[in-house]
Amino acid sequence: MSAPAVSVRAPRAGLGLSAFEASVIGLVVLLLAVAVVGPLVAPESVYRSDIANALLPPGAGHWFGTDDQGRDVFWRLVVGARTTLLSAFLVVTLYSLIGVAVATIGAAGPRWLDETLMRITDIGLALPGMVVALGFAAAMGPSLRSAIIAMAITGWPITARLLRGIMRQTMEAPFVAGARALGVSRWRLMTCHVLPNSLDVLIVKWAGDVGTTVLVLASLSFIGVGAQPPSAEWGATIAGARGYVSTAWWTVVMPGAAVAITSIAFGLLGEIIQVRRDPSLRGN
Amino acid sequence: MLLSVDGLCKTYASFPNPPVQVLHDVSFGLDAGQALGLVGESGSGKSTIAKCLMALTRPEQGSITYDGTDVVRARGADLLRFRRDVQMVFQDPYGSLNPRMTVEELVGEGLLVHRLEPTPAARRDRVAEILRTVGLNPDDRGRYPRSFSGGQRQRIAIARALAVQPRILVCDEPVAALDVSVQAQVINLLQDMQRQFGLAILFIAHDLAVVRHLCERIVVLHKGRVVEQGTRAEIFGSPREAYTRALLDAVPVPDPAVGRARRRQLQHQS
Repeated sequence: MSAPAVSVRAPRAGLGLSAFEASVIGLVVLLLAVAVVGPLVAPESVYRSDIANALLPPGAGHWFGTDDQGRDVFWRLVVGARTTLLSAFLVVTLYSLIGVAVATIGAAGPRWLDETLMRITDIGLALPGMVVALGFAAAMGPSLRSAIIAMAITGWPITARLLRGIMRQTMEAPFVAGARALGVSRWRLMTCHVLPNSLDVLIVKWAGDVGTTVLVLASLSFIGVGAQPPSAEWGATIAGARGYVSTAWWTVVMPGAAVAITSIAFGLLGEIIQVRRDPSLRGN
Repeated sequence: MLLSVDGLCKTYASFPNPPVQVLHDVSFGLDAGQALGLVGESGSGKSTIAKCLMALTRPEQGSITYDGTDVVRARGADLLRFRRDVQMVFQDPYGSLNPRMTVEELVGEGLLVHRLEPTPAARRDRVAEILRTVGLNPDDRGRYPRSFSGGQRQRIAIARALAVQPRILVCDEPVAALDVSVQAQVINLLQDMQRQFGLAILFIAHDLAVVRHLCERIVVLHKGRVVEQGTRAEIFGSPREAYTRALLDAVPVPDPAVGRARRRQLQHQS
């Protein structure tokens, strides 16, 4: 077992971010700022149709043009950022909690319970998440809430499996034997000693998962089981505009680019955190 | 006899290699308030004995009896009482303290788990008192283990063990990972604690000088067997077994004349 928290990084000024790392973090911060502030400063016309100005190309008045209802595409993206990011955070947080609970109960409980939970996890891992989420969401009635619940239900097995593995490693640490020798109960051993020393990995996973979730959530909305028009959620926006791909590309490409950029930004953020945590990965 | 170990056998599976028997019929006893040294080279089974004693692993044969309780088969309230009365200090002061707990949480955990000081305020006071006893500043109780040196961490570990007022302290090479100058401080602290609280100490070490200083009785272990046991005077004065003599001869002596004499003796033998 390695001694904790000994930094081997050569001292550098500030956080020592590379230009690439700084730009990814800057992008994520910008996205978060847009999600927080955007809806407050957006004009009310985001939901109001103005047929006279429909399908205007990008220009000075409308930076990203207007859609078939004459609504400003840029401001709809800004308003949709909050819906999209908040939903993704919610999904990842919900299934992380379920995953943590399953792993902890498995580790603290008797062996048969652990085995049962892990076999259920295996089944969950074997099922294609998006298809199952689609089924759940459709069964609950298409809405953003259904999509969020469906994704929370299908997302947890990876977290549970990963965390259970890490916890098994942490349980080999001498301080865990020490806590057992002190007379700590099995439940306290898991929640106070093993779990806090195993959660690091989830921080990395959380950021990366937000990226994936943004994409899947937009996909579900695009198929029609997630957010419904006239919601400004990005997937729903793409779905509403898909008839105009050939005549007004900006109505589809702009929200599509928003989904792609957000997804990639959070995915890269996850990778940056991972590399910073583990210097042996650096340079790849 | 407060703690008696009788006919302990332990085998580790190491599939696909054949299983390794690390303890062969190990027996010894520990009286209340006594300091017993368990010495032997690496791989002699010292740490396995400690694990069995702390009920962290089960021996497949033999018995461990503490104050009338069968430790190997103890459960529930019996086990909890045993866990309070018998505490352990580990070799590695870096790995044996949970890095995410403050000194106060670490030292107070036993009080919490065994419900010795019911209120947080009483627990706080007790923790401060124990920290002072082991020579740490109670003002540091909000800090994490990483901000302490090896010797200080071992003091935290000792405070953690002593907080629940145990009757036996099992020390598995508690100074092997420390600087020589710090070793003496920790050994002296253990000795003070033994006298002050009437503790029985089972001191596991490969360093005979340390054991000689601290322990009245000594058990010599070799390849999982007890080869010799006796009082300090017997073991150091007139060791009967060849292995014990070899072990004693390996102790460095800070006198060049003795060293030269030994080397000459070895040359004659070969």
